[in-house]
Amino acid sequence: MALAFILSPLLVIGAGALLLMLAEAFGPKHNRTAGLALGCTIVFGAGFAFSVGAWLYGVEDVAEKELIVPWLVIDRFSIFFDGLLCLGGAIAALLAGGYLREHEMERGEFYSLLLFSTVGAMMVASAGDALIVFLGLETMSLGAYALTAFRRTSPRSAEGALKYFLLGSFAAALLLYGFALLYGATGHTDLAGIGEAVRAGGPHKTMIIVALVLVLTGLVFKVSAVPFHMWAPDAYEGAPTPATTYMAAVVKAGAFAMLLRVMLTCFTEKGLMSWSAGWPPVLAWIAVLTMTVANLVAGQQESVKRMLAYSSIAHAGYLLVGVVAAARSMPEATSSVLFYLLTYTVSTAGAFGALILCGRKGAEAVTYEDLAGIGRRHPAAALAFSLFLVSLAGIPPTAGFFGKWFVFRAAMDSGFYLLTIIAFVNSVIGAYYYLRVLVFMYMREPAAGAPVATPMKSGYVAAALILSAVLVLILGIVPSQSLDVAIKAASIFGPPGG
Amino acid sequence: MIGTYLPMFLMIAVAIILALLFFTGATFLGGKLDKTPEKMKPFECGSESSGGNHLKLSVKFYLTAILFVVFDIEAVFIYPWAVQFKNLGWIGLASMFGFLAVVVVALVYVVKKGALEWEN
Repeated sequence: MALAFILSPLLVIGAGALLLMLAEAFGPKHNRTAGLALGCTIVFGAGFAFSVGAWLYGVEDVAEKELIVPWLVIDRFSIFFDGLLCLGGAIAALLAGGYLREHEMERGEFYSLLLFSTVGAMMVASAGDALIVFLGLETMSLGAYALTAFRRTSPRSAEGALKYFLLGSFAAALLLYGFALLYGATGHTDLAGIGEAVRAGGPHKTMIIVALVLVLTGLVFKVSAVPFHMWAPDAYEGAPTPATTYMAAVVKAGAFAMLLRVMLTCFTEKGLMSWSAGWPPVLAWIAVLTMTVANLVAGQQESVKRMLAYSSIAHAGYLLVGVVAAARSMPEATSSVLFYLLTYTVSTAGAFGALILCGRKGAEAVTYEDLAGIGRRHPAAALAFSLFLVSLAGIPPTAGFFGKWFVFRAAMDSGFYLLTIIAFVNSVIGAYYYLRVLVFMYMREPAAGAPVATPMKSGYVAAALILSAVLVLILGIVPSQSLDVAIKAASIFGPPGG
Repeated sequence: MIGTYLPMFLMIAVAIILALLFFTGATFLGGKLDKTPEKMKPFECGSESSGGNHLKLSVKFYLTAILFVVFDIEAVFIYPWAVQFKNLGWIGLASMFGFLAVVVVALVYVVKKGALEWEN
């Protein structure tokens, strides 16, 4: 029973997805989608509640969890991600409830796909075996591909989905090839076994390094870091905005769970972790490139949605700084990455939600110009948008400030001074394009004759925004409790070299 | 390590050399290709070719193929389970029932959604 309880977040979301699928098929003919958004949100909420329950119950003393080792490893880390993924999913589901109806593309598949894809993300977060990592990754990605293509009549949506699908499959193939080589070199498919064999050393040093390169490429691709970010802006822009929210929040969190778990379990051998001949400097370069390129390009965008897509890439860069630091001070820096993911999830989901709120059918808010004057005409929508953007920019007293603070401090403590300075300069550059939205909302008026954006009215979207806003403020004003949770979740990774 | 893979590399080399040999041989020894319109037509078992090459196919074919894959995979999983039935015991039985339940839900969904109705 205890096993079922600590697995419950995964089981609840899985069962909920099946139920919702049937509910849609058996629902009343004239209104098939009635209540699906609410149902989906409830399932995500239940998943979150069960994660909290499993967290409070504790996983350390559950002996039965050895039954599913090494396929699934249920620990504090995976339960933390269960909760985080459910939270992101719930916000995306609420946004979908308002958005899909407004834009007349409400079809029930959307909600089932959200849930199924989240099951994949949760599998990735708790995977203890390379095969399960791959299985979860594919489950997560297939859902995301379909969600990207959900605007059936839009060529942009199809283009984004096709790019995402092709490049995503390619990355998955690289990852799989890397795992295959690791299996060849070590004789293990379970991550812990691979890690041990790699630490023990052996005759297959070259093969392991080739595998490391392939695995790292696949993982970095999934978190959309430069130079493997090409798919992200098109997929994010083409997808319906709730799906974009889902990708930016849940899929990205799942990818980072995978990155942390695989790198900090498999490749912890001293040489591979060293600054002279290991993966940390590679990842540091990728982080620098990601932050700089994404921030510079984001500043040039005319579409706010595309700007937020690049912003999401830039945040992957800040997160990678934390992952690099984790190579030197594992539990501390990992906890900062986890906390950052939490703050980033609520801020970015809120920002996309506010963008949804500022548009109507046929008049979606796309460019900066579309947002002109919103501040005067619709103060509530503008205020919410401002809050999330300020949080993304990392200005106190919002969640984003503490997210950045802890990651940068972890990097400093690990001795990565130059990297921290680059990250800091980048977050200052980032503030420019976030604040530009504020300038348009509060200080500009729409040009004469230009269509005026009228915010939609939707209880769902309002609920999602209120939820995100409350969390942004809580994490920004009293971060200590959530930070404790993140520290506890990260404690499963021992000190480096251990 | 090279020794283990040597036969494989040899085979790849032989395959490439043979293919090149045939192509060059055909170019130099064979007669000149007579490019009459008749010869440039696609060969369709000897009958007259008809229609363009951008043929529109009903999406139903695709749907049927995808559904076939789903239930084909199901069979692939059931066979090894059946062979090892006694060894896997109750946990195996329970897992397989869980798996089948999910597939049955999919089947119910497919039927209810009308994906198996060929007409209309």
